[in-house]
Amino acid sequence: MIFAVQVRGRHDRVETAAVPDGLLIRTGEQAALVRLEPAVGTQCWRLVVDGHATPVRLHERDGRLIATLGAVRVSMTVRRWLPLPSRERAAASADRRIEIRAPMPGLVIETRVAAGDPVRAGSPVVIVEAMKMQMEIPAPEAGRVEEVRVRAGEEVAGGQLLAIVRPLHARTERTSP
Amino acid sequence: MASIRRLLIANRGEIGVRIVRACRDLGVSPVAVYAPVDAGAPHVRMADAALSLPDDPPVESYLNATRLLALAHRAGADAIHPGYGFLAEQPAFAAACAAEGVRFVGPPAPVLAQCGDKAATRALVAAAGVPVLEGSGPVEDTDAHAQATVLGFPLLIKAVGGGGGKGIHLVRAAAELGGALRLARGEAQAAFGDPRVYLERWLERPRHVEVQILADAGGRVIALGERACSVQRRHQKLIEEAPAPGLSAGLREALGRAAVVVARALDYRNAGTVEFLLEGDRFFFMEVNARIQVEHPVTEALTGVDLVAAQIAVAAGEALPFEQEDVSASGAALECRISAEDPHAGFLPSLGTIDGVVEPAGAGIRVDSGLWSGQVVSRHYDPLLAKVIAWGPTRAVAIARMRRALAEFLVSGVDTTIPFHLWALEQPEFAAGRYDVRFTDRWGEGPSAPDAERLAVLAAAAWADHGLQTPALPLDGASPGWVAAAREEGLR
Repeated sequence: MIFAVQVRGRHDRVETAAVPDGLLIRTGEQAALVRLEPAVGTQCWRLVVDGHATPVRLHERDGRLIATLGAVRVSMTVRRWLPLPSRERAAASADRRIEIRAPMPGLVIETRVAAGDPVRAGSPVVIVEAMKMQMEIPAPEAGRVEEVRVRAGEEVAGGQLLAIVRPLHARTERTSP
Repeated sequence: MASIRRLLIANRGEIGVRIVRACRDLGVSPVAVYAPVDAGAPHVRMADAALSLPDDPPVESYLNATRLLALAHRAGADAIHPGYGFLAEQPAFAAACAAEGVRFVGPPAPVLAQCGDKAATRALVAAAGVPVLEGSGPVEDTDAHAQATVLGFPLLIKAVGGGGGKGIHLVRAAAELGGALRLARGEAQAAFGDPRVYLERWLERPRHVEVQILADAGGRVIALGERACSVQRRHQKLIEEAPAPGLSAGLREALGRAAVVVARALDYRNAGTVEFLLEGDRFFFMEVNARIQVEHPVTEALTGVDLVAAQIAVAAGEALPFEQEDVSASGAALECRISAEDPHAGFLPSLGTIDGVVEPAGAGIRVDSGLWSGQVVSRHYDPLLAKVIAWGPTRAVAIARMRRALAEFLVSGVDTTIPFHLWALEQPEFAAGRYDVRFTDRWGEGPSAPDAERLAVLAAAAWADHGLQTPALPLDGASPGWVAAAREEGLR
C-alpha cells in the first residue's frame, strides 16, 4: 500500500509491502524491514527496524497520529497516497474566528472577559483549575470577544469551546503554492 | 509495634502502596480508604481491609478529616498515616487524632501549626542563627506594592499555608504583581484553605538542596544527608538525587548541622525535610516540609534507613534505634517522578484511562508505583503516578541504570514525564552534575531528531498498513466521497 505521511509540513511517500518477516517499507531511496509488535495496552509497541528494537508509543489526537520515541515526540498525519492537490489549506484560512478551547478538563474558576470586550494577545480570557493548579487561558491574538461560552463554577471537558474571539487584524491570505 | 497494631492510610496512589509495605515489614495491619475512582488501585488490593469514600473530590474523600477519623474507629485502627499532601500537614487533623486517641503518624499539631506558618517559621529560624532569604511577612493587597518595592523585582509570591509548589508565582515587574497576587491567593485558598501569601527575594539561578531529618519524642534529632532537587518545573520537583553533586564536604556538614538546629528550634518530631536554597557556597533556609516527602526513597537508597517505618515507630512512642554516628551513606541515587503530564505540551495534566503498564526492575532499580491497568487519571488529584529510584556505587552507574529502567517503563493511555527524563539524563550539564532550577527551561517542547522522525514514519506506515486506523482520504470540497472511494479502489 502507498501512504502519504506528513511530518512538520513535509510529505513523505511511503510504500509498504508484506514480506515473510514483516513489512518492507520504502521511503524515498531507503528501504527497511519493519515489524510493529504490540507491547502493552492499546498504545505501546515495539518497533523492530532491520533487527533493532525501539519502544514506541502511538496514539491518535485531533486526527493526527502521535509517535513518542524516547524523548522525541513526532506528530504526523497518515493518509492513503492520492495524487490530488489538497484544498484544505485554502478552506481553513477562510474562517477568521479564533476559538479558545480548554487545554484539559477542569473547573472554570473565573471568566475575565465578556462579549464585546477587547482583548490583547496573551491576556487571560478564562481561568481553569485542574489538579490543584490554576491556569490562565490566554487569547492567542488581539481582537474583540464575540462570545463567552462558559461561566465560573462550570465543569469543562478537554477541548471544550470556552470563548470566541474575532481577530483585530484580518490576516493577509497566503497564496497556496 | 506494641502500641500500633492497625493503621489507616489516609492517602492513595504510590504513597498508599509505600505505607502498606512499611506496615507489612513492621507487622502492623494496613487499612486502606478509597474514592470511587480508586476502587481497583494497588493500595486497596494490598491492604488488609479497604473502606470506601463516597465521592472523588478531595473534600469528600482524602481530605475529609471527620469522615477519615470515623472510618479509622470503624476499622479498629489505632493510628493514621496521612502520607503527603491532603491532610498531612493540617494541625487541626493531627489535633483531632490526638483528642480521639488515634496516633497521627507525623509531627504533633503544634509543630505542624508552626511549620505551616512559613512567615513565622522564617523568623524563628533566623533567630536560631540559620541564614534566611529576605522576604516579607504575610502581605495584604494594599501593602504588597510597598513591600515588593523594598525587596525589589523579580520576587516570588508564596503561600503562607503550604508548599508543594502550589500558590507560588514569579513576579518580574511591578505591573505583574496584582494579577499574580490574585492567582496565588486563589491557588492558596484552593490548596490550603488559607489565602495569605508572602513575598520572598528571588535568586536567579539557585540550587535547591534539602536535608532529611528524623526526630523522636526523647529529643534525639538525626540528619540523614541531603538531596538535590533542582530539576523542577512550575516549582515542582521532577528529579531528585543524593548526594547533591558539587557540594563540598564542609558545606554538606554545615547544611546537616543547620537542619538539626532548625529541627531543635521547632521542637520537631517524626520525619521532616529542611529545605535550603544554595547560591555558590552560601545557603538560605527556605522552609520545613513537615511530612514524608515524595523523594524520601533517595535517602533510603543511600542510608538503608526505612523512613516510613521510622515514622511509624516514632508515632508509636519508640526511640530511634540509631544515633547520628550510625548513619552512613554509600553510592549515589536518583529519583525520576513519573507524572501524568504532557512534557511536549508545557507539562499540562494528561487525563485519561491507563490500559496497560510495564514497570521496570533489575539491578539497582526500585519502583514505587500506584499504577494499574484500568486506572482513570482524574483531575481531582496530583498527577504523580509512580517513581523510579536508581542506585549505583557511583553516580554514573546510577544514571545508566535509570536510563535503562525508563526505557523499560511503558504506560499506555496517558502522556507521562518519561520522555522528559530520558532527555534530562542525556544532557551534559546533568551528567556533569552542574545544573540549577532553570535546567528544565531548556527542554522547551522537547527535542527533535531526524533518526527518531524516520522511525516514527516507519511506525506510522506499519500501523496504517495493519489497518489499526483506516487512513482518511483528503476530503476537499472538490472530490465528493464516492469519487474519492473510486480513486482509492483504483490504487489497490
